[in-house]
Amino acid sequence: MTSVPLNAYLIVAAILFCIGLYGALTKRNAVIVLLSIELMLNAVNINFIAFARFGLYPGMIGQVFTVFTISIAAVGAAVGIAILIALYRNRGTVNIDEMDLLKR
Amino acid sequence: MNGELLIFLILAVTSIGGGILMLNLTKVVHMVMALAFTFLSIAGFFFMLEAEFIAVAQILIYGGAVTIMMLFGIMLTRHNDQDESRKRGLKWIAAIGVVAFFVLIVLAIDGINWMPEETAFVENNTAQIGLYLFGHYVIPFELTSIVLLVGLVGAIILARRDRKLNKEGEAHD
Amino acid sequence: MIENAWLIPLFPLVAFILLIAFGRRLKESSAWLGILFTLGAFLLSVMTLFERLRLDHSASVVVDWLQIGDHLITMGYEITPLNALMLFIVSLVSLLVHIYSRGYMDGDDRISVFYAYLALFTFSMLGLVIAPNLLQVYIFWELVGVCSFLLVGFYFYKPEAKRAARKAFIMTRIGDVGLFVAMSLLFWQVGSFELAAIFTAVENNELSAGLITLTAILIFVAAIGKSGQFPLHTWLPDAMEGPTPVSALIHAATMVAAGVYLVAVMFPLFEASPAAMNTVAYVGGFTAIFAASIALVQNDIKRVLAYSTVSQLGYMMLALGAAGYVAGTFHLMTHAFFKALLFLAAGSVIHALHKQNIQEMGGLSARMKWTAALFFVGCLSIAGIPPFSGFFSKEEILLTVWQDGRAGLFIVAVFTAFLTAFYMFRLFFLVFSGESRSRDMNQVKESPSVMMFPMLILGILAVGSGFVHTHWFGTFLGDWLISGPASTYGAQAHSETWILILALVVSLLGIGLAYLMYAKRTWDHRALAERLPLAYRVLYNKYYVDEAYRYTFVSGLRGLGIFLNFFDRYVVEGVLRLIHGIMTGIGTVGAKIQNGQVQVYGITMVCGLVILIIGFIMAGGYLR
Repeated sequence: MTSVPLNAYLIVAAILFCIGLYGALTKRNAVIVLLSIELMLNAVNINFIAFARFGLYPGMIGQVFTVFTISIAAVGAAVGIAILIALYRNRGTVNIDEMDLLKR
Repeated sequence: MNGELLIFLILAVTSIGGGILMLNLTKVVHMVMALAFTFLSIAGFFFMLEAEFIAVAQILIYGGAVTIMMLFGIMLTRHNDQDESRKRGLKWIAAIGVVAFFVLIVLAIDGINWMPEETAFVENNTAQIGLYLFGHYVIPFELTSIVLLVGLVGAIILARRDRKLNKEGEAHD
Repeated sequence: MIENAWLIPLFPLVAFILLIAFGRRLKESSAWLGILFTLGAFLLSVMTLFERLRLDHSASVVVDWLQIGDHLITMGYEITPLNALMLFIVSLVSLLVHIYSRGYMDGDDRISVFYAYLALFTFSMLGLVIAPNLLQVYIFWELVGVCSFLLVGFYFYKPEAKRAARKAFIMTRIGDVGLFVAMSLLFWQVGSFELAAIFTAVENNELSAGLITLTAILIFVAAIGKSGQFPLHTWLPDAMEGPTPVSALIHAATMVAAGVYLVAVMFPLFEASPAAMNTVAYVGGFTAIFAASIALVQNDIKRVLAYSTVSQLGYMMLALGAAGYVAGTFHLMTHAFFKALLFLAAGSVIHALHKQNIQEMGGLSARMKWTAALFFVGCLSIAGIPPFSGFFSKEEILLTVWQDGRAGLFIVAVFTAFLTAFYMFRLFFLVFSGESRSRDMNQVKESPSVMMFPMLILGILAVGSGFVHTHWFGTFLGDWLISGPASTYGAQAHSETWILILALVVSLLGIGLAYLMYAKRTWDHRALAERLPLAYRVLYNKYYVDEAYRYTFVSGLRGLGIFLNFFDRYVVEGVLRLIHGIMTGIGTVGAKIQNGQVQVYGITMVCGLVILIIGFIMAGGYLR
């Protein structure tokens, strides 16, 4: 019926995932890094929904999982922002380059 | 070329374009706005895949809450920040790694040799999700609510630990 | 007492440990500690000797040490007459040298180290002479080699001493390989290291004649190395760089005699192979005359004595090779006494003059009466003038060689006796008689009594020790040595008066010639040297043996060494450097990655993941 194949959705999701990955790996501002991670999660959500509709075993379960993913991702974003603000207060920066406490 | 494909292409262009804009803009606030476009386009994909509930949730949570929260985060930290370029070598390594990863994924997608069959239109999509959530998946659902609660409390505690300096931390949660 | 003979080597071992541990604090008194413990060992040895004299069987105690497969390796000790005699000689000379060193090494900062080495040597040598099996022999054999190395190189800041120590070690090592191979061969064939088991196997014809000859010659190679026989003799004169007491103890009286002792201990094996006996006899005879001729023209007092030692050891080998078990052992004993005496007297001279060149000495008898007298006794003894001990042992050797029937060897032995008398008295006259050829003779004093006392004892022994075995009163020593169950030690020689007179005449001729040339100067020895320039130069340069070795073995090995060095430097080291570079590079990159930034870690993880996936795809064959 539909003329958009599954592969198209998957490829778009892969592109978005890779953009998110690249952003998470290279951006200096911690807020943007967090946002890039959200983008990666969203790309995964597209896959869930697409497989829920076109998969070998289509059904509602993909959508249900997406609900879980979105809620957990939201929690992650909220806690991440809270941590960022605490960090900013202590160190005066949200620059990821300057956060190298792992070295010690 | 039918209408559905056209809509798909438009959504793909906006979502990917938003992502690329995010990567290339210099001002942090602009980046967040560019990503908001991407999130909204993804909601459009969800509509196309007949997942209305998820689509609406996507608009509400990503297009609204997360974006706004990120904006608040930027405002509360260093609002006129600009993202300067990092060391070039690492950027290139990251680019090579990510591109290689992408190529692998595309190869894998290309290798899918089963013909995906489209399911019949599911009626009462939202009701079905409700049934699953409160039926078969009730325990994960309750666990998620606990995680949300813990996240809420944790975020508040993290953000307002130092009361003397400023109390803005409580403002957004 | 005899069952506690194993205690004897332990005394010096304890002394060694104590000296190494507390030597720095003990300083000068470490000498007395060393002397005390050696005295203990000596007293025990004397008791053991007397008890063994009364017994008519060998005492031996053996305990299991290792069980390897079917083979049992044991440790223990055995007191045969030969062993008891060696215990006595070694501990006595060692004790006297310990006492002497107290005076000779006085004021040396490292005197405690010196005594520690001496104690270690005494331990090894005593352990060597009571060993009942070849493995134990080998262990102590190597230990005495190490001690010799340490003591020759005692003045390690002198480059010659360092070189001499190295040379001594390497040259003796060449011989030691022979012992090791022989030991392994015998163990392979007999299945035991025990001397008794080996001899039984030899007696029962369990070993092939070729194998017996081979092992005997290999053992003799070890003896050649240790006893400084030709062609491995060159280390011994160089070893005189060590302190003089060490030369007396190790390089004259005991360690170098270990080679003779080894052949004596393995005598039943040698006797079973005529070829091996021939080798021993001819090498010994050649060495005797060869070293004696070199000693004629040397100018360093210790070197003359060293070549004399080589010559006398050759004499002993000659005796053993001529089936003269008693003669060889007897000469070993008397030689230990009079050669130690000569060395100690020479040490006394060196101690007084701080010089070793005999051309710069002379007229010392007026200033050092006792030393001169004792040196004279030693010279008479080695020259073979009755009633000094050397006369009896040398006569025994001549008798043995004559009765063995090889006339050529007999002539060589007689001629060597003549040369010996000549060069010893040349030495004596040059050093002690005539006018002083050096200016600062006035300060020369007699050595302290702590040095004179051991020399006196040795002097008495050099005079008297010959009487234990003479054809005038009785051949006690010989009877005792070949007593016991093992009667394979050959017959004793019978006295022949004409040989006795011949030996005496020859010695007197040598002494007289030396007197005419060096004391009266009726014939000028320089004129002789000028008349025969070639012979003189060849002798003075020790037949160019060192040079021959340098141009053949040393330069050959050096060429090989240079090649291997290049190989090592450019091939082996190149590979190593490459590996090292790769590792360092990985390390540098790794360190750079570990900078604490999450994103860098993330990049690493992504790259790793990609590589893993590619790896899996390749391994799975999905990528075509």
